[in-house]
Amino acid sequence: MSKFFKTIIAFAFLSVVPFSASAEVTFVSWGGAYTESQIKAYGDTYSDPDSIIFEPYNGGLGEVRAQVESGNVAWDIVDVLPSEAIIGCDEGLFEDLSDVAWTDAPDGTSMEDDLAASGVTIMPPCCAPQIFWTYVAFYDPDNFPGNWSGAKPEGIADFFDVENFPGKRGVHTWANAIVEMALVADGVGVNDVYDVLETSEGVDRAFAKLDTIKDHIIHWSAGSKPLELVKSGEVVMSLAYNGRVGAANLSEGENFEYIWEGQVIEQEYICLMNGAPNRDAAIDFMIHASSSESQAEQAKYITYGPMRASGIDIIAAGEPWFHTGINVLDQMPNTPDKLAISVIGDPTWWADNGSEISERYGAWMGN
Amino acid sequence: MEAHISTAEQVLLTTDGIPLKDSLKKTERRNKIKAFLLVFPLLLFIIVTFVVPIFDMLGRSIDDSQINQVYPKTFEEYGKWDKKADELPPEEVFKAIYFELGTGDKIMIGRALTRMNYSKSGWKSLIKKTQRQIKKDLKAETVITSYKDRLIEINEKWADRTYWYAMSQMINERTPIYYWNALDRTYDAEMNVVRQSEERRIYVKTWIKTFKVSVYVTFFCLLLGFPVAHLLANLPLRYSNLLMIFVLLPFWTSLLVRTTAWIVMLQQNGVINGVLVWLGILCDDCRIQMVYNETGTLIAMTQILLPFMILPLYSVMKVIPPSHLRAAANLGAKPFTAFIRVYLPQTVPGMSAGGLLVFVLAIGYFITPELVGGKDGQLIGHWIAYHLKTTLNWGLCAALGAILLGIMLILYWLYNRIVGIDNIKLG
Repeated sequence: MSKFFKTIIAFAFLSVVPFSASAEVTFVSWGGAYTESQIKAYGDTYSDPDSIIFEPYNGGLGEVRAQVESGNVAWDIVDVLPSEAIIGCDEGLFEDLSDVAWTDAPDGTSMEDDLAASGVTIMPPCCAPQIFWTYVAFYDPDNFPGNWSGAKPEGIADFFDVENFPGKRGVHTWANAIVEMALVADGVGVNDVYDVLETSEGVDRAFAKLDTIKDHIIHWSAGSKPLELVKSGEVVMSLAYNGRVGAANLSEGENFEYIWEGQVIEQEYICLMNGAPNRDAAIDFMIHASSSESQAEQAKYITYGPMRASGIDIIAAGEPWFHTGINVLDQMPNTPDKLAISVIGDPTWWADNGSEISERYGAWMGN
Repeated sequence: MEAHISTAEQVLLTTDGIPLKDSLKKTERRNKIKAFLLVFPLLLFIIVTFVVPIFDMLGRSIDDSQINQVYPKTFEEYGKWDKKADELPPEEVFKAIYFELGTGDKIMIGRALTRMNYSKSGWKSLIKKTQRQIKKDLKAETVITSYKDRLIEINEKWADRTYWYAMSQMINERTPIYYWNALDRTYDAEMNVVRQSEERRIYVKTWIKTFKVSVYVTFFCLLLGFPVAHLLANLPLRYSNLLMIFVLLPFWTSLLVRTTAWIVMLQQNGVINGVLVWLGILCDDCRIQMVYNETGTLIAMTQILLPFMILPLYSVMKVIPPSHLRAAANLGAKPFTAFIRVYLPQTVPGMSAGGLLVFVLAIGYFITPELVGGKDGQLIGHWIAYHLKTTLNWGLCAALGAILLGIMLILYWLYNRIVGIDNIKLG
């Protein structure tokens, strides 16, 4: 065998062996600034940072189901919405992790109690908690519409009040959160929203409230859009993901004001793929990523709130917490005072009714 | 005569003694195999990535076998329920579902749950809550006299007829229900096809809109593309090359960039509205809403699909000899008559190729309508993506996709009947 060939074979071995030998955990998430914050908060603080590979995906369970059904599982951990965490767990797309010992909070509170303190009663058994993100209304006080006669919108009812706060509103093209907000704006208490939605009269009531602003809505579908809409004056206020508004305020020098009252808090979970190629390493990383410290750490880079109540305490004690040295608690959606005026999104209700409500919302939008 | 026949029968041999005919056949066969081997990878690729998925999709659109594996006994007993005589199903049905939930495989039940929830919202939590309670019952070895009463005691929704009626659409392994759903129809209690409740009728309207937008986009592309292609084909080379670059440059630009650019142009505080207000044509409060609705979808899609019309038209116009028009003029035709009767018929192959291309692309378009569509500019692709990713109702996805495929095939057939498919010319 020529020397040339030997060199090539040796080189091939050298380059192949490390990849196949080390178990690299594939962590799939939403990409962009969110994944960046996960890399810094969870990846870089992990005992073996290089063993975690972060990949972006488009959300939804479509690809997860395709991988599990075909038996060709390439991912280990997937970052999903709560209703998907529940459906994925029911369908056996994710593995049951009830027996995993999650880390306690620094003061010894168990994971379960820690979540309950944030208002989350059911944790999907296949997943570990990540963050709270919210659908929140916001406006630009620097671009204040003259016809608002100086009043500031204080609550979600003002978002639905086109008489005192005339102008277009930005709303997303799917039904989540806006249905709950309509009810809160109509006078339903934040904790009673899903009781009202259980009946068809309740749903009708929400849509009747939506009718009142129908002609004043501009619908968006990409998360970056509401900021552009508000900034350009296309709308006077908009619903948005709170993290996008927070990033604009903290890193881009914007001065957006939130309307926290009536915001809808959504959960975010990381779940283990059923048949994950590096199962054990993945579980170890999930334990690390769901610890109170890691969750608080993420708030240094993005303004999504830790789901564990102890995470908020760590941030409060460590202010200024943001990596640029700014206070971050004002931008956090789930401080105790804000929790009291927010709807905690109910993934069980959405898993039950999501399809029907979405079709109805789609029909409503197009009419 | 005799001699002649004998020479004809004399077999021609090659140098190694094999009859020439056989030898030829052999080489031909070898060549055929070689040719086949050359195309084989491509054939395999097409089968694996194209034919198999399409058949898989068609299969899924009528398949309801999974849930039948989970509740075989329940469905069997359910079939015996006389809906006119009894308000609720007989005790046997309750008993069957009680045990199938209590002892069935958790994951199989979970997958069936997703399917059950399509038929009626609320199945999911009802089954999950009930299942938990039954497991406790079985563990505690509770004695149950009436399974019907026990289930209703666990959750009163078991006494709600509408849940039981919704079950009727699942009991066959092959079902047309997804196709009915895709057309805003559903089953009533007696398995009659009825229209979906009014506030949920969304698909027929979306189908019509998809169709309408595609026709408009094709029409506008033709209207705008024809003069450009004509100019391209008839200008001197150095100008036409420059013009060609203008056509191709957006074609090479990212779809997202072009879509976003249209948002900047069309929005109420955007370039076009700004200029119109500045010129005094519009007042500041009456800026036109041109994006985040159907208009936005139409404008953006037309611009994005325009090259697919211009290029085939151009390649056809390029080879129409100018002498034809001169000849027509020579024979006394006015320019307009010459254009209509001599030039236009010769461009039909290009128009049909471009039209078909644009229409096919438009009918399945997703990203652009999604971004600029806003309230009423979403096409059918929006709902396919929604059910694929969010509700996991792949049966409905498959049915929507199959209908789309069916529409395409019908159009193709019509086109072939009216224009003739061999009339298409791409270059």
